[in-house]
Amino acid sequence: MPPYVIPDQCDGCQGEREPLCELVCPGNLMVIEEPTGKAVCRDVGDCWDCMTCTKYCPRQAIQTRIQYQLAFVPGKLVPVVGPHSVTWTLIDCHGHVERFIMRMLAGDEEEEDL
Amino acid sequence: MARERVYIDADVLIIGGGTAGCLAAWEARQSGGENLKIVILEKAFIRNSGALSAGMNALNMYVNQGKPEDLVAYIRYDVCGAPVREDILLGVAGLVNETVAMMEKEGLPIKKKADGSYLNRGKWNIEINGSLLKPITANMAMKARAKVYNRVYVTDLITVDGMVAGCVGFGVRDGKYYVARGKTVLVCAGGAAGLWRPRGQGDAHHRIWYYPFNTGGSYAMCKRAGAKMVGFDSRFVPVRTKDTYAATGTMSIGMWAPMINAEGEAFMREREEYVKLGGHTAPTPIRVLAYCREMQNNRGPCYMDTTKGDPQRVDGLKAQYLDISPILVLYWGCNDINPSREPVEIDAGNPSIIGAHAAFAGAWTLGTSRMTTVERLFVSGDALGAAPSRFISGSWSCGRLAGRGMAGHIKEKRPELLELDPAVLSDLERNIFAPLERYEKCSFFTSGDPVEGVFPNQMEWRMQHIMEEYCGGRSRWFYVNETNLGIARKLINRMRREQLQYLVAKDMHQLQLAWDVINRLDVCQLVIDHIDHRKETRYPGYVNRSDYPEADDANFDCFVTSLWDAKKDELTFGKEPYEQIIPGDRKAQTI
Ligand SMILES: Cc1cc2nc3c(=O)[nH]c(=O)nc-3n(C[C@H](O)[C@H](O)[C@H](O)COP(=O)(O)OP(=O)(O)OC[C@H]3O[C@@H](n4cnc5c(N)ncnc54)[C@H](O)[C@@H]3O)c2cc1C
Ligand code: SF4
Ligand code: SF4
Repeated sequence: MPPYVIPDQCDGCQGEREPLCELVCPGNLMVIEEPTGKAVCRDVGDCWDCMTCTKYCPRQAIQTRIQYQLAFVPGKLVPVVGPHSVTWTLIDCHGHVERFIMRMLAGDEEEEDL
Repeated sequence: MARERVYIDADVLIIGGGTAGCLAAWEARQSGGENLKIVILEKAFIRNSGALSAGMNALNMYVNQGKPEDLVAYIRYDVCGAPVREDILLGVAGLVNETVAMMEKEGLPIKKKADGSYLNRGKWNIEINGSLLKPITANMAMKARAKVYNRVYVTDLITVDGMVAGCVGFGVRDGKYYVARGKTVLVCAGGAAGLWRPRGQGDAHHRIWYYPFNTGGSYAMCKRAGAKMVGFDSRFVPVRTKDTYAATGTMSIGMWAPMINAEGEAFMREREEYVKLGGHTAPTPIRVLAYCREMQNNRGPCYMDTTKGDPQRVDGLKAQYLDISPILVLYWGCNDINPSREPVEIDAGNPSIIGAHAAFAGAWTLGTSRMTTVERLFVSGDALGAAPSRFISGSWSCGRLAGRGMAGHIKEKRPELLELDPAVLSDLERNIFAPLERYEKCSFFTSGDPVEGVFPNQMEWRMQHIMEEYCGGRSRWFYVNETNLGIARKLINRMRREQLQYLVAKDMHQLQLAWDVINRLDVCQLVIDHIDHRKETRYPGYVNRSDYPEADDANFDCFVTSLWDAKKDELTFGKEPYEQIIPGDRKAQTI
């Protein structure tokens, strides 16, 4: 489910030293396009679907979409990362919603920002 | 125009900031002291790189019961009693529980039972919430004050008088030429994905089990540096969730869900031919073999029958997969699949070459030092051969032992940094950037394709096509014989020897892809020749030799090793004896 960027939501990470999706992608795939200043995955076929870019995007501009050869549209899986957990929302193709809260860090104390 | 150069000197030079590399940095600091200069060169961004980048939901090496010896006996059993480096595995198993406790303190959430002990998955695994596994792992390198260079792709080791002196590479983003020297050098750049054709096409080309950005650099670099290599006669065949190739341990070990065929038969438990090979808990290659046989006999599709699993755990299945393979959860959502109410279809994916999971590839190491046959050159994680099933927790521990080994080597032997020959550095530089230079000189078709060149992805597809057809890919059910191995060798060597001169890259990203192909082709050479050399079938399921279908203990109950002759571009083979440390039947578990 390679990442697709919603143009109205991506601001090219203005204010960050480097666009976050570009910073983190292990495959060096996310880049900012010249004329628009917005992010794009340069080759969706090279993406491993690790969802790191999607989790890091501060504006939730990245929608991970499953390859159509493998599954139907328009289901969605949306992660929202909090300080100690990720909240995942799965919306299937019929609009049924399921929510999951997954722990990320042990302990309750304030952890340094990972 | 002269390219900008970056020179780096280190005491401990680590190539690949992954599972093993980060903990090697940590341990080198603990045992090497405050002044040790530790450098990590990482192809991607260290906080999110490597096999852990999507997260994981279990640590597959942990001594939940019994002793480290029992765990090692289990590992031996799980690879059909094949020779394993018991000395190395015992050291890792002895350190693994302590390492896990340390990582829990560093923030890793480990699931607990009511009594506060770790929640086990089967005998040797524990369950975690590992979505931040890589950032937590990378933090250990930061805490050790390792100097990390992100987005530096290492292409080659440099040796001087038979000793490793350092390495060279290029900045994927800055385009600079990196030259690094180390008193000790650790290669831990993972295994090799993508040698065989993937099942998904086009935009699903990387929808494979193994992390596709580890492309065999570990093995190719060690081989080219003259290190003795081992274990390329095995390969890991992942039987995983169909289409998405997500791990299945969550279902098979985690909830005791059996594999079933189209007739609903739990074949591992019900068919005599598999029961006598171990049934539901048969060695990993045997379970692969059984799945393939069911399919070949047209009893597919096959499934993991979650409906027969532990109901409490089956209910939490989607949540568990969010920590390791969120794609599978979306796939279920988009295909109206409810895994708690219906069996989950499985398939065999393309093989990967690895050393820390259930396969054997890597460099041969001397005793438990982690040093290869090239002085000062160390390996860990997937780069270390003949010691399978270390997984995450074992790769952490293995990395720690490598860190100790390097710090110890520096203390005892007091190695000095070696002088590098400027002519050698210039040759390497030319070689590294050659695909870019060639592209500049090309003329182009109207499509934009170069007349005189071949792009990295085109070479990748050719390589995968050859390996798939002639080196026992999924479409051949992992069968090979001497004839098709000969064809594979001829075609792959032609690519390596004659065709690389056409490899072009139009930008730095493509240069990275170009080196991925170069390294993979070198690993193909190791794989083809090692498989051909082992004239027997020791790992049925992984490598089935139709011409030598049985194990041949008289000749091959040992480690088969190779050394690369650079002048002839040939491998010379040797053998290392297997030393059994843990007594008893190798094909049986001790507890
Ligand atoms: C899909 C999958 C699921 C798994 N599930 C589990 C599980 O549930 N439990 C478990 O215990 N184990 C599991 N494993 C096994 C475990 O993840 C590995 O055994 C372990 O992470 C290997 O560690 P490593 O350090 O060798 O590799 P990695 O952690 O991948 O590190 C390699 C590093 O080298 C870098 N690199 C690569 N090439 C270069 C280069 N040329 N130059 C510079 N840097 C480079 C990479 O970017 C990466 O950071 C799984 C593995 C996979 C792939
Ligand atoms: S999902 Fe992972 S591999 Fe794919 S573009 Fe995002 S960060 Fe890169
Ligand atoms: S992280 Fe999000 S907002 Fe920032 S550049 Fe990428 S897509 Fe745009």
